[in-house]
Amino acid sequence: MSGIDTAIYVRQPSRTAAYLDWLQMLTGAGLILFMWSHMVLVASVNLGPQVMNTIAYFFEATYMAQVGGPIIGATMLLHFILAARKIPYTSGEQGAIWRHAKMLHHTDTWLWLIQAFTAMVILVMGSIHIWTVLTNLPITAAKSAMRVQTGFWGVFYLILLPCVELHVGIGFYRILVKWGLIKRSGRKGLHRFENVLTGVFILIGLITIIRFWTLPV
Amino acid sequence: MSRQLIFNIFRYNPQDPGSLPRTDTFILEETPSMTLFIALNRIREEQDPSLQFDFACRMAICGSCGMVINGRPGLACKTLTKELPAEITLMPLPVFKLVGDLSVDTGTWFRTTNTKIQSWIHTDQEFDPAVVEERMENDLANAIFELERCIECGCCVAACGTANMREDFVGAFALNRIARFMLDPRDQRSEAEYFEVVGTDQGVFGCMGLLACEDVCPRELPLQDQLGILRRKMGFISLKSLFKPKARAAS
Repeated sequence: MSGIDTAIYVRQPSRTAAYLDWLQMLTGAGLILFMWSHMVLVASVNLGPQVMNTIAYFFEATYMAQVGGPIIGATMLLHFILAARKIPYTSGEQGAIWRHAKMLHHTDTWLWLIQAFTAMVILVMGSIHIWTVLTNLPITAAKSAMRVQTGFWGVFYLILLPCVELHVGIGFYRILVKWGLIKRSGRKGLHRFENVLTGVFILIGLITIIRFWTLPV
Repeated sequence: MSRQLIFNIFRYNPQDPGSLPRTDTFILEETPSMTLFIALNRIREEQDPSLQFDFACRMAICGSCGMVINGRPGLACKTLTKELPAEITLMPLPVFKLVGDLSVDTGTWFRTTNTKIQSWIHTDQEFDPAVVEERMENDLANAIFELERCIECGCCVAACGTANMREDFVGAFALNRIARFMLDPRDQRSEAEYFEVVGTDQGVFGCMGLLACEDVCPRELPLQDQLGILRRKMGFISLKSLFKPKARAAS
């Protein structure tokens, strides 16, 4: 007898939604931590190319770049697939959320739309960035400077940087309020903290891009 | 001199095939302590008797006068005109079925959702009217009452991005309601039974955390906290069954 799944006809209680939500949050939190560490590595070039090279060499020698890099790339794709369950894809849903956001004048609703939009940018540009860096190891300040100064790459990073920082900042805020780790009384303060954090990271990122742009190669 | 208020009000009668959705403008002189309840009744009495809207208690208890006030869902009876600019736009609550103009049918939605989440005390105890009611700690009674204050006005649902996109999402109202039963010792439902009702993408895991519900609730229910607590509780229930495969059979 061939196996016919009776759950087609009678809904079975399922834990899937919960597991997927856990995974979405955990991959998101992991990527937030990664992006913060990433900023420390890249911005170290402002202290001198040698500082960045030393840190990069450490990740190279410990195989964290060779092994960790692809894992981060895969985590990003997994996080996209999980979070995409919530993103409106049909034109009906997209129209509904757009009209809704325009009507409501509500910051957190707009932030969610920004999160969904930047997600698409990061999916494409982040993948290109990861591919380029990982197929051209080891990471050095000179190579990064060369890339930023070549062709379209400078503009590429000027677009990717704010998208990533907004997505990370909003995601950080959203995880904390969504999972009840920050209560009603702490929400305003967290919001302010998130704004400052995002602003500071974009500023450091801009300084770093300018540094790569002006680094003699 | 008092302000001249300009009201832009959504007009449409779905019952009338000749009716087209439009906005009508009414001008009214503001009076002291004027609420939208007072303003709308004056417009209906003095300017247009065909204007449809719902009211019952005029004191934020009945939940019938929910509408979109300058873009934000709120109760008309609780909104003072002096808190608003001189130009006021009134629209019916989205998500719910439109009865006509500002009047929507929240009843059917709440009835359906309450049935879906089994919004009643589940107990096998026989009710005995002769016995004195069981006592409850005061703190617990207060905690339950805090969540019981919901008046089913529909503002949280109308303000919810998910509910606007996806018809089957139960909304903050229902999740708050389940949180209330989970507190209640008289409800004998198990963790797994609660999970079955709201541990889904139509329940707490469908919530995207936009928190407009929290920001518009006219009763200021602690929706942010309740949604967070419920998500964590349901999340941990799912993990428990992951580590104890046998417990799964019980559900």
